[in-house]
Amino acid sequence: MKNALKALRAERGWSQSVLGEYLDVSRQTINAIEAGRYDPSLPLAFKIARLFELQIEQIFDDGSKHATTEPQNERLRRSG
Amino acid sequence: MTTEQATYRYFKVFIPAILVYGFGSVGLTLAAENITMPPFVLYALALIPTLAMMCVFWAHWRFAGEIDEYLRLIQIKATLVGVACLLVLASGWGTLELLADAPKLQVFWLLPIFWVSHSAATAFFSKKEGVF
Repeated sequence: MKNALKALRAERGWSQSVLGEYLDVSRQTINAIEAGRYDPSLPLAFKIARLFELQIEQIFDDGSKHATTEPQNERLRRSG
Repeated sequence: MTTEQATYRYFKVFIPAILVYGFGSVGLTLAAENITMPPFVLYALALIPTLAMMCVFWAHWRFAGEIDEYLRLIQIKATLVGVACLLVLASGWGTLELLADAPKLQVFWLLPIFWVSHSAATAFFSKKEGVF
């Protein structure tokens, strides 16, 4: 999964170790997420989103063409 | 808890326990060969390395719970590789013993086989995933 973690971290001038400390994970974990080798768990994704004060979708891109913050059931209700 | 703290806590149990296991196993083998002891004494003495190995597994369980989710995934993958190597080797060799009169493999070696394959897998996955 693509993500903007490296860019967001760079904007703030944080090292991977510093970001790891803020999120209570190792530098290796930050490195793996940034490189796209590892997709974080939902709790960690929420932690990252809260730290950067963004929505999860603004940080992580699952490649879906219909990516939206609108609840899926609303879309299904309208289309159905 | 940081990874360094978790690793320190792990090795604080692992190193003494593995030493007790190693020396206990060797000592027990030598004692059994050189001293005549009733079977119940041997059984009781065999508990020493067994308990030491239980301590190692308990420390590993605690370690896996204390490290973060990505490093835990590496440990889980390594454990699966360790278990797979152990079962394949034990089952394969067992078949050879049964059908082809292969020399008997003592079950004592199952634990070292697991730890060697687990350690090799940890090193492989850590290198592959860029941990070091």
